[in-house]
Amino acid sequence: MTQEPRQPDQHGPFGRRTFLRGALTAAALVPLAGPLAACSSPSGGGSGSSSGPKSATNPFGLKDGSSVEAVIFNGGYGYDYVTFATTQVKKQKGFEGVKFKVSPSTQIAQELQPRFAGGNPPDLIDNSGAGIIGFNTIADQLETLDDVFAADNYEGTKIEDTLYPNAKATGTYDGRFVGLNYVMTLYAVWYSASLFEENGWTPPKTWDEALDLGAKAKAKGKHLWVWGKEAATYYRTLAIDSAAKEGGDEVRLALENLEPKAWSHPAIQGVFKVLGEMVKQQMFVPGGAGTQFTAAQAKWSNDQQALLYASGSWIENEMKKATKSGFKMTGFPEMTLTDNPKMPYESLRAAAGEGYIVPTKAKNPAGGKEILRAMLSKQAATNFTKTRLAPTIVKGTIPSDGFGSTALLSQSKMLDAAGSNVFNYQFYDYYGLDADQLVVWNSFLSGHTDVAGLTKGMQEISDKVANDSSVKKLKIT
Amino acid sequence: MSTASTTSSSGRSGGPPRATVRRRLARWRARLTFDRVSFMLVFLGLPVAIFVVFVLIPVCEALFYSLTDWTGFSSTMNVVGFANFSKLAHDDIFVHAVRNNVLLAVVVPIVTLSMAFAIAVVVTMGGPATGSVRGIRGAGVYRIVSFFPYAVPAIVIGLIWAQVYDPAAGLLNGVLTGAGADRFTDFAWLGEVLSAMPASMFVIIWGSVGFYTVLFIAAIKGLPAEIYEAARLDGAGRFRTAVSITVPLIRDNVQTAYIYLGILALDAFVFMQALNPGGGPDNSTLTMSQYLFTTAFRKGQFGYATAMGVVLAIITLLFATIVFLVNYLTGGRERRIHG
Repeated sequence: MTQEPRQPDQHGPFGRRTFLRGALTAAALVPLAGPLAACSSPSGGGSGSSSGPKSATNPFGLKDGSSVEAVIFNGGYGYDYVTFATTQVKKQKGFEGVKFKVSPSTQIAQELQPRFAGGNPPDLIDNSGAGIIGFNTIADQLETLDDVFAADNYEGTKIEDTLYPNAKATGTYDGRFVGLNYVMTLYAVWYSASLFEENGWTPPKTWDEALDLGAKAKAKGKHLWVWGKEAATYYRTLAIDSAAKEGGDEVRLALENLEPKAWSHPAIQGVFKVLGEMVKQQMFVPGGAGTQFTAAQAKWSNDQQALLYASGSWIENEMKKATKSGFKMTGFPEMTLTDNPKMPYESLRAAAGEGYIVPTKAKNPAGGKEILRAMLSKQAATNFTKTRLAPTIVKGTIPSDGFGSTALLSQSKMLDAAGSNVFNYQFYDYYGLDADQLVVWNSFLSGHTDVAGLTKGMQEISDKVANDSSVKKLKIT
Repeated sequence: MSTASTTSSSGRSGGPPRATVRRRLARWRARLTFDRVSFMLVFLGLPVAIFVVFVLIPVCEALFYSLTDWTGFSSTMNVVGFANFSKLAHDDIFVHAVRNNVLLAVVVPIVTLSMAFAIAVVVTMGGPATGSVRGIRGAGVYRIVSFFPYAVPAIVIGLIWAQVYDPAAGLLNGVLTGAGADRFTDFAWLGEVLSAMPASMFVIIWGSVGFYTVLFIAAIKGLPAEIYEAARLDGAGRFRTAVSITVPLIRDNVQTAYIYLGILALDAFVFMQALNPGGGPDNSTLTMSQYLFTTAFRKGQFGYATAMGVVLAIITLLFATIVFLVNYLTGGRERRIHG
């Protein structure tokens, strides 16, 4: 009865083909599980902030004997400067027993996503690099850092009074100051002072002068600019900065607020037109859209095929090993369209980078803030500038010899000349638009699209975010 | 047995008589020896548990996330229904990525398998026309050499070829300009819309041919030699033998290889990320998986990204179905009837 005769199947119930088919179905399901394997499910998690009593020497109530965990982006600046700062903390009275763990990471978003979702993020994070976590996703899960600036540094001065202007603005989202950007970054055009001296060239102040210089470069068999495929948007930054100086705040604000037709502003169009002319006259080293960006940069810093490079001030450190000796890397403010722009020529896009954040759900946020306090004190800040050849947001750490670096010295000079004429904008980092914009810029710089195509492409990327109701917008005034 | 009429298929209401139940239980209990139970636990329970925990639950979770607006970095989310999917349909970049993937899934398997099959045939039966059927001289060397690229990790292959394609310092342009083709000076293979996709496809094919060659060689070696000898006596040439004898006999292997390669092409993440992390000029090499990755980690839209993953899975299943169907309709079914 229940002893039913077996199916007359020579392969048994689990034949080879059935098995093969099953295996294939399972393989086909892999992509579905893929996105999930990469992320982790959310779960609740209480904020277990354990802080002790606060005082002038212990402004955040860090408990002696507690442990602090920091995850630091390990990029151009390394991460040992944070370790240096933790040793400074331990030298303070009452903090001798605090245990620090500083770990490097090159993929902040991928590595920390599960910890944010799981509700146990580290106490301090350097949220930077290609794997940056977009601030629009985490801003409301972060501690405000106003108390760090209000605290005294280890020398007894109020931290706020020791910093370059604008230090707070760059990390403020929706009125909350949550990202402490530590390294002063300014955007400029870079050249080799020795090469220019040899040839009797001077850095151009307007785009017309730049065109002339481009012609002189061609006569010498050189190009004016160079670009790499991952860094084509450096020329977007150059264009925006230049247009913002030319047309004033309205240019910048329209872009920040993703306004329709923002990219059609006459100042932006003026710069685009000159850039288009330069592309047409082959003033860019050809093939950039297929060249890895540091290899492209070496064509400027090592081979001297190109005269100028538009970049942030990290460029010296980044190209340290691929710079011709005696290059004398120096920066100058980005060109303007006319001789009388709305903002003076010396104005700069200067913003602090390397955004340090302290998550609200961290176990010991006071510890994270205490590390920041140490980093903003004289000793750690000077150590950073000296070893990394880049200024921090703390003023007065660069000596007159610039620790032997012409680039650092020129940064210091540009910052001083700009005074309070510094500005910044965040929209492409905040909404994560760089990847989309790269495509448009690579195509423009290769000469495949014209100014109209560039404008249309950039506007479409802006409009897409502006019309997406699921994205939380930033209102900049 | 006295109750021989009581078959297990009876739909009688009230169930089988109590005696039968008791007897069945007893027999069942008798069969529960330690041997049997431990065997079932290890070989059935464990795999099922692993499958449920690591495959079924994640898949269900993924389906759920695709219906939410989860950012990935918070512990809260709202269910938004199918909003993510309708957004996907209107996302021109995603549609572009789907097109790129479909192109990859069509071209890469056909080229790779044709090349692999050709090499396998030459190595196994391209030899002298007299004596036993064997490969050309030095077949073993060719076999090993063709397998080399597969022994190199995909990411390394990608990085090597990214250097080879470099406009100024790359090996390819160096050889081409050295040979007098001056129009390739500073030609950006990965930076031009026309060449980026073919150049990327070439790298994937280069990296996969060796494995499928070895797979086909093994399949051909498993075929009885008498068939080939008979074909040869009947006057069939090498090409005729390859097309009319070998292909039908290793049909199942070809189908399996086709599906695996198709899945690789629909993903293609590692190769594309190494060659053109930004998606290539005008997004001409952007794949769904790359766009998913950017959307999840750069833009913090995990719900939307998961919806892309669901679409990718559906497309992959569709692809497998189509391959099965084509194989079935073009004659795969006859063999099954006799098999």
